Amino acid sequence: MPGFDLQLLLHGQYHEWLVAGLLVSLKLAGLTIACALPLAIVVALLRLSPWRPLRWLGATYVEGIRNVPLIAHLLFWYFGAPELLPDAWKERLYAGSYEFVAAAIGLTLYAAAFMAENIRSGIRAIPAVQFEAARALGLGFIPAMRRVVLPQALRVTVPPLLSQVIILWNDTSVATVIGVGEMMYQAARVESAAFHSVEAFAFVTAAYLAGSLALTAVAAWIHRRWPVRTL
Amino acid sequence: MRLKLKSLLATVLAATTLVSVAHADQLADIKKKGEIVVGVLGTDEPNSFVDPKTREIVGYEVDLAKAIAQKIGVKPVFKQIAVAARIPELQQGRVDLLAASLTHNKERESQIDFSLTTFVTGQKVMVKASSGIADVPQLAGKKVLTVKGGTQEENVRKAVPSVEVVTFETTQQAFQALQQGKGAGYVNDEATLVNDIAKLGPAKKDYRILPTNLSTEPLALGIRKNEPALKKVVDDTLAELEKSGEADKIFIKWYGPATKLQFDKRSFKIDSDKI
Repeated sequence: MPGFDLQLLLHGQYHEWLVAGLLVSLKLAGLTIACALPLAIVVALLRLSPWRPLRWLGATYVEGIRNVPLIAHLLFWYFGAPELLPDAWKERLYAGSYEFVAAAIGLTLYAAAFMAENIRSGIRAIPAVQFEAARALGLGFIPAMRRVVLPQALRVTVPPLLSQVIILWNDTSVATVIGVGEMMYQAARVESAAFHSVEAFAFVTAAYLAGSLALTAVAAWIHRRWPVRTL
Repeated sequence: MRLKLKSLLATVLAATTLVSVAHADQLADIKKKGEIVVGVLGTDEPNSFVDPKTREIVGYEVDLAKAIAQKIGVKPVFKQIAVAARIPELQQGRVDLLAASLTHNKERESQIDFSLTTFVTGQKVMVKASSGIADVPQLAGKKVLTVKGGTQEENVRKAVPSVEVVTFETTQQAFQALQQGKGAGYVNDEATLVNDIAKLGPAKKDYRILPTNLSTEPLALGIRKNEPALKKVVDDTLAELEKSGEADKIFIKWYGPATKLQFDKRSFKIDSDKI
């Protein structure tokens, strides 16, 4: 095995590929987190809703999504789902970078299912009397949740949500199977073009690790800035 | 902290290097084991694929590997591997020999050794007939699809620098994406393209293969570096197959007029390991 060529990671074409991959990974993770969190809150509220059909809808979403592996979701959103659309829509969709869109949809729906369960647990950790008191003061279901329960629940949920966000960040690597040019994809490209597998995967490992540690730091800061209130 | 990291890295690297030099003479090891482990794709008809009736891996490269195992006097064991994993699997000693539609090129010569050239093919591009693309230059600015880990991406970029390339884990996924219209072209070895088109049945009139070759690809068996004894027995076996006319028979069996590929005759000889 040739020695570890650090220069390869700092300059030149392979460096550019890997950095381009890193940017795609960041974009994919950022977009997915931004979409998955609100969706997760909606799904958690559905599962706690006073109406049975809504509770049933939320439960179906969570169980239907989280019990199938992520890779199957991504292959479905890339190869399966768009084929059901009319031809004209398909053409317009495929003219752009549909690989990225499919990965973002698949990852968002997948992550939201897990996050929804975290948020639901957080809501259930807030004593029911708080919700009842808010209702007694004349607030409806949504305002009571929004103004009284959720602000407390989301604070409790920060640690499990952080785990989920870190998993999501690492899961963006699965998007390589549908041809998204993210970090794993570019590392494999460097590997087959130059056989510098150790360098390429060292870069990728360091980048995922750095990303995850940065997320941990952000979560620690959020936890300090908005601590769990004693109940 | 930085120092610690460096020394950790050095330990890991040293350990990896040790593993890769642990074998003294691979041919002796193979004889001692009584079997030769051959890395094949198993998904690339007719080079190596699973026979739907017997569920066994068969094909052109499989027959060559069987002849080599017979010559050494051991049992051949076929192990399916992914395109991108071929060279690492060989280097790390998980397979003894690669018979996996492996292109012999200069870059790879620094990584592994190659047997005599066992097949010569060219990479081409398949498009939908309705796309109106008549030849390779018209792919400029378009998206083409292919498999990860091979030489396809590099070759199509060389031929059409402005092309956009999307790669998948298997050739079937790339071909599927072409059928669904997710790209304008699908790049692969000509033999694989012809075989893929043949599988389409009546729909095959909707596809065509562009005339220009992206590259000439000599395929060969892969052998770990610095294993002269194993390389000699592999090359001797191949040369004997060529001399006895057996190599031609194996070619006709898998690529000839009675197959989906329908090649009339062989356009190459198994007689050189130079490219």
